[in-house]
Amino acid sequence: MVASKEMTHEEAAEDRVMFGFWVYLMTDLLMFAVLFAVFAVLRDNTMGGSTGRDLFVLPLVLAETILLLTSSFTCGIGMIAARRGDKNQVLFWFGLTFLLGLAFLSIEFYEFAELIHEGHTISSNAFFSSFFTLVGTHGLHIISGLIWLATILVFVVKRGLNRHMVRKLALLSLFWHFLDIVWIFIFTFVYLGAFA
Amino acid sequence: MNKLATPEHATSESHGSVMSYFAGFVLSLIYTIIPYLLVTNEIITGSALLITILAFAVTQMIIQIFFFLHLGRGPKPFYNVVFFIGTFLIIMIVVLGSVFIMNNLYSNMSPSDVAKNQAESEGIYQIGGVETGACQGLNENHKVYVSNEGISPTFVNAEFCDTISFINADGKEHIIAFGQYPDVQYYGEDSELILSTQRASVIVLNSAGTFSFRDDSNPQFTGSFTVNLKE
Repeated sequence: MVASKEMTHEEAAEDRVMFGFWVYLMTDLLMFAVLFAVFAVLRDNTMGGSTGRDLFVLPLVLAETILLLTSSFTCGIGMIAARRGDKNQVLFWFGLTFLLGLAFLSIEFYEFAELIHEGHTISSNAFFSSFFTLVGTHGLHIISGLIWLATILVFVVKRGLNRHMVRKLALLSLFWHFLDIVWIFIFTFVYLGAFA
Repeated sequence: MNKLATPEHATSESHGSVMSYFAGFVLSLIYTIIPYLLVTNEIITGSALLITILAFAVTQMIIQIFFFLHLGRGPKPFYNVVFFIGTFLIIMIVVLGSVFIMNNLYSNMSPSDVAKNQAESEGIYQIGGVETGACQGLNENHKVYVSNEGISPTFVNAEFCDTISFINADGKEHIIAFGQYPDVQYYGEDSELILSTQRASVIVLNSAGTFSFRDDSNPQFTGSFTVNLKE
């Protein structure tokens, strides 16, 4: 990226890192797009078994959606605190983000466990293969986001909120907002779409 | 190195304010709840519902891109916006293309039809030792000429697995329909054969019996054929 004259050396470097991370997010988005395409093609191929309409518990999925959306919001507020240099606020808001993400993940685990308990596994039919792959890939992203966030927070507690940490948090919040946007489409197309 | 971000940086337009996050949060909530209620209350159904909720999802995506990711705001060159638009185009091609192609394939090759289509169009006369009813090899071909002058010959006596070619003998389109006018009957898969100018249409005689047909554009012209079983 072309650094404008007012930018310091460090800011220009930060800008480049942000752009590089953005490129990663876009390629990740492409991967999700392919998984969505696979799901769109295979969603009716249940081999006569139960469909999403029979199995999905919508109130639970709505709760997941609101949890993730709220975590995206608290993450944004935490980022404002980080740019202000307010360490306690950063720990509070990002800590909240972590807990909301964990709650989201727990519900997803519960949902998957219920499905598998009822005998619907990834190898049951093409619908479940594509469903578990798409939603599971998003879940794995959430897990890695949570691990990343926890690591950053430990460093913030130990070493304080330096410029380095602010940059890491900025990348993380970009990642987190991105995962929320992907989830909107999982919520709409996979879950609500099953009832259309 | 350990210097904190400067205050100017903190309030800069490109990183958004509490208000912008709050606005994005409330709007996203609304755009989540509305499609949820549309689905649970079954206000609309089917593909209209799917299109509506997807429209809500796309709107919510734009809201979040604007209020949470702050894409396109700030003074930098818009490389990331360009990259996003490029990615979005590829996604549209991949997703819509896959759905379109696979739906098309599916509607032409739904599992129950596949074996039948193959048996008929490829002339597969047996699958796993079971006769499909398709004919093996080429037998005698009978020609029937269709024009505004009439149909000739008006009667064909044929053997099972023979073929009849209906040949358009003038410059007008003709439609050969089976059964007495105005009934619609089927011979095999077809209720009518469209004969464009100077074209012919061939049927394989894989049902025995006597069948009548007429030129639908001149229903006074009729004909019939009898298919006799061998042996």
